[in-house]
Amino acid sequence: MVVLDAHSQMILEEYRENLPLFREAEGKIVESIKAQLNEAGILVAGLESRIKSEDSLAGKLELKGHKYKSLADITDIIGVRVITFYSADLGKVASAIDRLFEVDWENSVDKRKLLNLDSFGYMSLHYVCRIPGLPYKAEVQMRTLLQHAWANLNHDTGYKSGVEVPKEYIRSLNRLAGLLELADEEFGRIRSELADYRRRVQALVASGNLDDVPLDGETFRSYLNVGPFDRLNKRIASINQAEIQEVPLMPFLQVFKGLRCNTLGDVARLVKEYSEHAYQIACYQMGLTDLDIISSSIGPQNLCIAILLKNGAGKHGLRYLFDALNGESEGNDMLADMIIEQAKDLPFMNQ
Amino acid sequence: MNVNIEKENGVTIARLEGRMDTPACLEIAPMFESLEAEASGVVILDCKDLAYISSSGLRLFLSLRKAAAGKGGDVIIKNISNEIRQIFVMTGFLNLFKIEG
Repeated sequence: MVVLDAHSQMILEEYRENLPLFREAEGKIVESIKAQLNEAGILVAGLESRIKSEDSLAGKLELKGHKYKSLADITDIIGVRVITFYSADLGKVASAIDRLFEVDWENSVDKRKLLNLDSFGYMSLHYVCRIPGLPYKAEVQMRTLLQHAWANLNHDTGYKSGVEVPKEYIRSLNRLAGLLELADEEFGRIRSELADYRRRVQALVASGNLDDVPLDGETFRSYLNVGPFDRLNKRIASINQAEIQEVPLMPFLQVFKGLRCNTLGDVARLVKEYSEHAYQIACYQMGLTDLDIISSSIGPQNLCIAILLKNGAGKHGLRYLFDALNGESEGNDMLADMIIEQAKDLPFMNQ
Repeated sequence: MNVNIEKENGVTIARLEGRMDTPACLEIAPMFESLEAEASGVVILDCKDLAYISSSGLRLFLSLRKAAAGKGGDVIIKNISNEIRQIFVMTGFLNLFKIEG
């Protein structure tokens, strides 16, 4: 049972009286942080908050109540935790918090700077901030996802419970902290390298050096941005003066890979070589209809049909195409049969 | 052209009957608007008795798909005939929808 002196009892009473205000302030603080992070384009893994419980406050006052003149001296009545994906984002979040709140620098801690060069441990940023409109304080903790995992697991072991822990155990925990710190750095490095790769690919696509660009999700997305099928789609649309509905074309990545394209250059050559054939398919299918709406997938779809027909892939190849684009279905068999039948009348199949 | 809308276990089912040509589409457009209002959930378009679909019909389907995508819902097309499947493939609409049966 917690036993408090009269001074601590007064602080506890002040806490109880102001609890509704703290609840209101907690929501406002979280919302303002969310908005600020959103505006700065910082994606975070989590945002948690809590109001210090009465039991926790009483325990703190029992241990060191003499330290606190009033409730305003307690630095974490409201606690907020921002969990980032990358360690590089911690600085950005800290800067956002600094812009939002009045930071009490005397009580704020950057544990990253306190660690000795030869030791590992829980690294975290803690900013003590003034609760807007109130003479009380909130603590904002900023950690990466891996630091958060380490801190939680470490807490769960009871490492800081006051019970003496064998040195081997502490050594194991520190080794784990070092491993996670390394992993944090690696994730950051991979992110930077991916961003570099993306920029280089965009430059190569823009310069037209497509044979130097391997075909993968990232490069194909960049390639789609330059509209490789636009000309073909416009030509097909002109058959019935149709409107073109733009739709995602990423599903064609797997199809082009299946057609043994290893680089964007391979895809570009197929577009050049088979566009006329793809147009002939559209003329045959749509010429006698009044359909005046098409999706932007019609160009690449007909292109793939033409490649398969011209290279003798037959019904099996066409079924593969429709299964890849539309999902497996018995109806795709019928479509493959229909295309095989139509192919007999297509000019490019009779040349 | 008839559109019968029912709700079964939280799923909206619209049974389409007849020819979805341009005049019919004008007639049934309000019913598709009511389907769009339900598009935060699953909407099934049962095309078992749909004999034909025009560009106007494709536009109604597309508008419903957009509404569902915006609301986190889903549109499933069921029981389409071979003729309508051909129209979907020749316009590049086939892979825009979940097609079952």
